[in-house]
Amino acid sequence: MWFIDLMLAFSRWLESTPLAGFSVWVAASPLSTAINQNSWATPTTESVHILAIAAAFGSAMMINLRILGLAGRRQTILQVEERFSPWISWSLLILVATGVIIVLAEPAREMLSGWFWTKMGLVAFVALANLGFQASVRRHAARWEPGRQSVALRAGAGALIALWCVIMIFGRLIAYTGVA
Amino acid sequence: MALQNLWAALEASPLGDFVASSAWAFPAIESAHVIAIVTVVGTVGIMDLRLLGWAGKAWTVTEESDDTLKWTWGAFALATITGTLLFISKAHVYAREPWFLAKLVLFAAAAANMAVFHRQTWKRVSDWNAGFTPPRAAVIAGGLSLTIWILAIVCGRFIGFTLGQYE
Repeated sequence: MWFIDLMLAFSRWLESTPLAGFSVWVAASPLSTAINQNSWATPTTESVHILAIAAAFGSAMMINLRILGLAGRRQTILQVEERFSPWISWSLLILVATGVIIVLAEPAREMLSGWFWTKMGLVAFVALANLGFQASVRRHAARWEPGRQSVALRAGAGALIALWCVIMIFGRLIAYTGVA
Repeated sequence: MALQNLWAALEASPLGDFVASSAWAFPAIESAHVIAIVTVVGTVGIMDLRLLGWAGKAWTVTEESDDTLKWTWGAFALATITGTLLFISKAHVYAREPWFLAKLVLFAAAAANMAVFHRQTWKRVSDWNAGFTPPRAAVIAGGLSLTIWILAIVCGRFIGFTLGQYE
């Protein structure tokens, strides 16, 4: 498939950049070797990473389902947003922290993967969209109520959930960068 | 041993062989599995925190359940289907994997917890539906459920790190 070929070409290009040498340097650093000395460290960190995705994705689902009128209809959008948004923000922080440990543990696997950098771009976009959403809902809550929203808002709510799924798929595919 | 034959037959089946030999089948199914389990744990967690009385003050318990439960079950169905497909690609390896077996035990514990909760505590939910702190039985059920599902995620992740070590 053309997209997989594109990602493979991206990965091969990354190998020709200074990132290749940098990843070797990180792998030899005391921090990286310390993480790898403990065989439990990486799977435990990845477990926390997945649990944080569950918290963020479950929360994002509830907010976007409310926008689409499919959940929490007895609550106002503002109530739903105020309950679930902090979970997304805190989860994103935990995701970055655990993500850094995972990169330190296996630098070449992540830094030389096209899937990884594309995922990082999408994560940055989702984080910004989340901030923009919070600001907009807090300022004009009424505009977000079902019946009054534009088609674009509803499409946006659906697209954001789809984007989270794409991010998870890319995250899993990092493990297969060298294969296929 | 009969079970060994069963695992071999599953691996040799067209579906098991397809998942094992296709370059993209395993990663694709695994990705769907991740999305499914994250949805299960995310929605279950929201309900559990409400039962514990730790979050969702403004939501009644039945409202919370209406918002989350259908997604939990839908995602659990997807997780079971994708998990089975992953299993049959290397059945005899997974069948000896302690983290995988621990995951099955945790599912049984989750089912038992749910059965007790729905047969007893949930029957009188109208008495405590709107109260912020549910009765002790509901708090225990929520705490157990949250613990079980967190451990299930951990076991699932460890499977990928120890696979084949117990053959």
